[in-house]
Amino acid sequence: MQSPLSVRQRFFSRFSNRRDTALSYLLVAPTIFVLLALSIYPLIFAIKTSFQTGTADSLQWSLANFTRLFTDQFFFAALGHTFVYAAVALTLEFLLGLGLALLLNSAIRGRSLFRALMLVPMMLPPVVVGVVWRLMYNTDFGAINGTLKMIGVNTENFIWTASPQIALLCAVVVDVWQWTPFVFLVLLAGLQAIPQEPYEAARIDGSSPWQTFRYITLPLLKPAILIALLLRTMDLLRVFDQIYILTEGGPGFATETVSLYIYRTAFRFFDFGYAAAMSFVLLLLTNIISAFYIRILQREEEAR
Amino acid sequence: MRQNRKWQSLKYLLLSIAALASLIPVYWMLTISLKTDADQLASPPQWFAFTPTAEHYRDAFVTRSFGSYLITSTIVATLSTLCAVVIGTLAAYALTRFQMPVKANRRLSLWILSTRMFPPIVTIVPLFLMMRDLRLINTIPALVIVYTAFNLPFVVWMMRGFFNEIPREMEEAAFVDGDSRLGALRRIVLPLVTPGLAATAVFCLIICWNEFLFASVLTQTEAAMTLPIGIAGRVTQYEIKWGVMSAAGVVAMLPILIFALSVQRYLVRGLSLGAVKG
Repeated sequence: MQSPLSVRQRFFSRFSNRRDTALSYLLVAPTIFVLLALSIYPLIFAIKTSFQTGTADSLQWSLANFTRLFTDQFFFAALGHTFVYAAVALTLEFLLGLGLALLLNSAIRGRSLFRALMLVPMMLPPVVVGVVWRLMYNTDFGAINGTLKMIGVNTENFIWTASPQIALLCAVVVDVWQWTPFVFLVLLAGLQAIPQEPYEAARIDGSSPWQTFRYITLPLLKPAILIALLLRTMDLLRVFDQIYILTEGGPGFATETVSLYIYRTAFRFFDFGYAAAMSFVLLLLTNIISAFYIRILQREEEAR
Repeated sequence: MRQNRKWQSLKYLLLSIAALASLIPVYWMLTISLKTDADQLASPPQWFAFTPTAEHYRDAFVTRSFGSYLITSTIVATLSTLCAVVIGTLAAYALTRFQMPVKANRRLSLWILSTRMFPPIVTIVPLFLMMRDLRLINTIPALVIVYTAFNLPFVVWMMRGFFNEIPREMEEAAFVDGDSRLGALRRIVLPLVTPGLAATAVFCLIICWNEFLFASVLTQTEAAMTLPIGIAGRVTQYEIKWGVMSAAGVVAMLPILIFALSVQRYLVRGLSLGAVKG
């Protein structure tokens, strides 16, 4: 008769024997190969390209692409647009998403229906989102101007995405429309994971709803908030598709973000070196910002 | 009590506004796709009272080549999802079940995740040049390859989470019955992770179906275009056929909505790369 313990030990040895190690490498190898070939190699190639100037026949190593960045007012304008876009959209999406999550985090009828309906925009292809909002903003038959006209507003001067002053804001509205549901969904999941005990304790202590929110809900929701903000920030900094369809960066340069400018530099002017230099900067910025979030997240986990 | 009821109605009001705001723009596109060119320009805008026509759908999918884009999109999404799910699931299994030396499991997992984190615009030029050298520009394989790589980190992280939820004891029991490693994976583990696997696959399909940036660079001919590229090409022309665009938009959106509904349970998890378990 074998004791249960020795049975377990035999299996444990089976988990870590040499054949298993070989098998594990075999199973991971295809993934590593694909990622090396199609993510890491292109990344290194891009960094290399950014340090080269000249045509394909006579490439030279130089820093010219990077020095050019500092004198390129279009690049700084694009950077500015990207940050304004990201900051405004992130703020609005967070506030609206939190509000909706709090509203829906209670026993009400039709909860799953509301949840499902609100998720529609997030799942749409970005290209379709672009089409949808071009139809909304359109000055001839757009739903916005049409409705305003119906209630007697003179819409002659409301040209929305055609106006250099507010085109970027119009693009932000589209982003908020599409991505608030994501923030809402993550925060709702976070809210539902909070245990009931602290709330009961707070009720016994007679704390006000605001105090409960400020000292119980917010701190316990912090990890979910950080993850939602991290993922949104990364996406906002690289925004491309919706803006490309909605305005193509225009009118003029009014809604050109960094990704759009890189795209144009690479595939309209075929200046791959300069495009690579700009994407290097974008990569660096994204990394710095995400490292900042991840650090807070880790500190949060250690504090637990 | 009275105040409570007031608060309850206010809650419903706010939620209804949010739900309507989500749906109205989409509904507007739907009406445009069903209106004649004259009706589209009607002022005040007609939300309900118009005679629906299928002419734009016919125009888009019979006269123009949106039908071909639709087929390309379907092929690309299916093939790349298949590749990513098979390759990624095997890796995820190895990463959760085997002890690799010097904490390689964790490091490898994080490295795999990090490849998903950099902005796609960074690698687009090198990928374009690579595909050009391989003479794969304007072909379906180019997109399948790129999307497989793009979805792999996602599959690995999702499946890692699902594998971790299955107790090891179940496999140990299979070993007692004389199963090999891969036998246990096939007979015991895979059936248990099937719902997670299906959800992961659906997410991959959605991502491929929606993808725009890579497709716009790698496919420029009619024969190789995916649906988003076909739509975008029409939007940025000078004279835009809004009815045709909207019809194509509606068709591009429908499968996604059905897919999304089918994975509602895993939505949070999928959208946060497994970081939040909804």
